[in-house]
Amino acid sequence: MRVEVLALALIVGLANYVFRYGPIGARLGAGQAGGAGWIARFLAATGPAAIATLVVASVLPLAGADRGPLVAGVAGVLALWVWRRSVVLATLGGAAAYGLVFAVSA
Amino acid sequence: MDETPSTFSRGLLTSVPIALGYFPIAFAFGVAATKAGFSGAEAFVLSLVIYAGASQFLALALMTSGAPLLVAAFTLVAMNLRHVLYGPALMKAAGEGASRHLAWGWAWGLTDEVFGAALGEMARGRRFSERYMFGLGLGAYAAWVSGTVVGAVAGGGALQGWPAVEAGLGFMLPALFLALLLSILTRAAVPVIAVAGLVTVCGTLAVSPTAGILGGMVAGALAGVVRT
Repeated sequence: MRVEVLALALIVGLANYVFRYGPIGARLGAGQAGGAGWIARFLAATGPAAIATLVVASVLPLAGADRGPLVAGVAGVLALWVWRRSVVLATLGGAAAYGLVFAVSA
Repeated sequence: MDETPSTFSRGLLTSVPIALGYFPIAFAFGVAATKAGFSGAEAFVLSLVIYAGASQFLALALMTSGAPLLVAAFTLVAMNLRHVLYGPALMKAAGEGASRHLAWGWAWGLTDEVFGAALGEMARGRRFSERYMFGLGLGAYAAWVSGTVVGAVAGGGALQGWPAVEAGLGFMLPALFLALLLSILTRAAVPVIAVAGLVTVCGTLAVSPTAGILGGMVAGALAGVVRT
């Protein structure tokens, strides 16, 4: 085990932990429930904003030349969500639709 | 609304699609690390201690290119700055009386996907519980670390004979994010989502994926502040 690899892991891992736990430990977000202040609105919007950002960021690299699998995957997620309202089923079904169309179009 | 607090086992169950998405990515990380000259033990430690997907792949590139330790560390830390927003947003959604006594433990697993899944659970009416967070985080973390180990041991080419399976697994996380977005979708959230998505595209194309993600999150959250 190289020392520089271990050092990098420890520095970055510690920073990640501070990022994830620090604000909770400092009770940021506490007492904001139902509040009307801008901090309450900011925090309430952070969740949808974060997830929307991650949808776009994860789909962008797939929007290359052959969009068939991507269209099938997205359609699969939407259809299964509308039908069953299940995150697990929509995720697995969307991935299966993506893989199937990928296999057919390959 | 279901007022039952979510249990540890429900957290584990919720982590299944996350784990299915994490495992092949972590597997790919294990393969890439060993190909780049890292030992299996080093790949394992990077996943065990850093536990942040994209930044781990970047760590391989930075270290093999000879970047100074502090420069590499600063770059990787900056990539994960967005995680600062997750805890407060989660506790805001959990409500006034939500326990956080054990947050020192479960907060370790508060990745993008775990945060999204927990938020989706509450959007569907379940009460926040720290047991649920432990179950959810443990399933995802176990998949990530075990996927890395299997990838490092197997080496390259394990999925080369199954390209459709590899492609489907590669779409698992985008599918999960989309399903989570649908689960928290409300009329009030539409402007936030639109702004976040637009800024992410612009930031990614103009600067970098990291800038796009961070800019999209902040711009979307600010859109939530200014709406009436």
